[in-house]
Amino acid sequence: MDPLLLARLQFATTTSIHFLFVLVTLGLVTLLVYLQTAWVVTRKPVYERLTRFWGTFYLVNYALGITTGIVMEFQFGLNWSGLSQYAGNVFGAPLAIETLGAFFLESTLLGMWIFGWQRLRRGVHLALIYGVAITAYASAFWIMVANSWLQHPVGYEEAGGIAHLTDFGALLRNPAFGNAFGHVVSAALTCGGFLVAGISSWQLIRRTPDYEAFRRSLRIGVVTASVGVTLVMGFGFAQFGYLGRIQPTKFGDDGDKAAAAADFAARFGGSPADYLPPTWVGAPLGFMILIAFTLMWVWVLIPFFFRDWIIRLKAPLYLLLAATPLPFVAAIFGWLFREIGRQPWTVYGLLPTEDAVTQTSGAVLLTSFVGFTVLLLGLAVADWLLLARVAHRGTADPALGRRPDEPVPQPADRPDPVLA
Amino acid sequence: MVTIWYGLLGLFFAAYLVLGGYDYGSGLLLARGGTDRRVVLTAVGPFFLGNEVWLVAAAGILFGAFPMLEGELLAGLYPAVALALAGVLTVTAAVQLRSRSLAGRPAWDRAIIGGSALAVLGWGAVLGGLLQGVPLHADGHVEGVGHVVTPFAAACAVTLLTLAAVHGAAFLALRLPGSGHAQTGRRLVPWALAAVAATTVVGLLSARVRDAVQRPAAAVPLLCLLVAALVVAGGALARGRPGLGFAATSVALAVPVALVGAATWPYALVSTADPGASLAVVDAAASGPTLRLLTWLAVPLVPVLLSFQVMSWWVFRGRIDGRAPVYW
Repeated sequence: MDPLLLARLQFATTTSIHFLFVLVTLGLVTLLVYLQTAWVVTRKPVYERLTRFWGTFYLVNYALGITTGIVMEFQFGLNWSGLSQYAGNVFGAPLAIETLGAFFLESTLLGMWIFGWQRLRRGVHLALIYGVAITAYASAFWIMVANSWLQHPVGYEEAGGIAHLTDFGALLRNPAFGNAFGHVVSAALTCGGFLVAGISSWQLIRRTPDYEAFRRSLRIGVVTASVGVTLVMGFGFAQFGYLGRIQPTKFGDDGDKAAAAADFAARFGGSPADYLPPTWVGAPLGFMILIAFTLMWVWVLIPFFFRDWIIRLKAPLYLLLAATPLPFVAAIFGWLFREIGRQPWTVYGLLPTEDAVTQTSGAVLLTSFVGFTVLLLGLAVADWLLLARVAHRGTADPALGRRPDEPVPQPADRPDPVLA
Repeated sequence: MVTIWYGLLGLFFAAYLVLGGYDYGSGLLLARGGTDRRVVLTAVGPFFLGNEVWLVAAAGILFGAFPMLEGELLAGLYPAVALALAGVLTVTAAVQLRSRSLAGRPAWDRAIIGGSALAVLGWGAVLGGLLQGVPLHADGHVEGVGHVVTPFAAACAVTLLTLAAVHGAAFLALRLPGSGHAQTGRRLVPWALAAVAATTVVGLLSARVRDAVQRPAAAVPLLCLLVAALVVAGGALARGRPGLGFAATSVALAVPVALVGAATWPYALVSTADPGASLAVVDAAASGPTLRLLTWLAVPLVPVLLSFQVMSWWVFRGRIDGRAPVYW
């Protein structure tokens, strides 16, 4: 088979799976910061239960986020060695900074947070989750700096056939970066908010034994989702203003598209048609916008917080439950538009995708693609099942932060459901 | 400056083998039965996430500071790297998920054992692959992948497996006194010594390894250090001094990285196809502005990273008793 196609399929599969987990990580860690702060400040036990419950959920999700992230990092060298040879001087720097300055600390701090539950003072333990959250955002920041450089290369000069860094500040001021970073972060908040609202709805529909906790996390989820979806649309539409200018073949009008494609053909050979992305690339963009407008209706639910009508009416709970997967679908669509719209370039206007791929046989890449996809999908499905299980069990027995001498509650110990 | 970054790359990868090495070693020893598996994982617990990050950071340095090396090294040793990665992924997910449902636990435990074995075998083969060189051409592409599969790479893989097993046993002897892991470790030391000896013999017989090694004078003392560390570890575990034993096995895990780096110096990747195509460390490095930027960032950052790691070791130091928080 064609090595280029296989390498692209593998990248798309791994990244899509990674993206789904990372959205939850970023969204939930923000809410965990809020929940644990509330617990430390107010000392209300309901916040402890919520922190432990959502903390367990966050950690089960994190397990696959880190696993798929490791593959992502090594995939650049394994399958895209042309990219690191050509662009490593520029593109490698933000990735190196991400691993050293963000991910390294995130995982180290998280290990201490998990096991420091009774061991560390409350203030220190709280500081750890703040550290985890800040480094998680820093991680997203640097990854988006790197990705934006691929979309719109700046701050470099070409010498001896490879790119060299000339102005690192330009990478941070890259027009392809700022709004896109805001867009991704608010997409994570939207996903986190809808997930929390959806799971809380499920618990409330089933007449959860812990009404107090899930009533509260439903409200937190709905508010986060409302703010998130508004921001995500703002940052999304803000990109329309200049996207056609920096990536004419992706989003320019027909004249710009043809001119840019003809220019590429003149400089790199081939016909202008070779330099246009697939025509269907507008479809994921359209679906994403459609989903976003649908999700905006979540604002309507906020007045129903009054006297808990949102719970008593039941219908809003079912709507929220049904909406849970939508922001994730929209995120994947958005990602498809950003990345496929850039084709046939790995570095827009500089490095064609076919020159970035490792020169190796299709058999090697096929084995790698099938092997890693089966492994990652298997682990991802197992993880989603465990997440569903954690969500279903509720706050009665979060594994996280259990005191060592505390007996594991048996099913019979659980309080009976109460009528809401 | 390039030399410092090459040293830093080696340091991070060696730290990963030392710290991740006892994760995988402990994972391998889950197969032994006896001690409760959950106790073993609780001993590893607080450090697990903080250990693996050294690998990710090493890969980050490889990409940022040695972009010319990154693609050639990883793609050139594709099968070995892929094997190691598959192991790392499996262990990472399995350790974190095993206790989230009682029913799945035995299956996840088998995944931990198998993944640990794959990870250390894979990294062993990567180190062996570096020492025997790759068919690198002047245009920077490596021909085929079959060149990795040699008796020498296999011997290196098995050696790293035995080293990790000894190291894991020493770590558990330190964290779980009286659990019998000291005896296991002591019994494993002769196997590790035999593996090191066999690898040395296979390496000396292999023309590729003889050609690729640029500085045997640097390799021999490091090999002696490896043997000495194993002997000290065996003695210390037999005499009930797990602290010294763990220090010695840590040295044994770090030495192979130093050995590969020193033996192939001044090259980062030796070519078997065309001696002129061998990639020297200076040529593998990123250009000046990138390295300067990374240096300015690393000078304050690396001490911060180290201090958080030390904080984690300090907070969770000591032996495991019934009162340790359990999560994995």
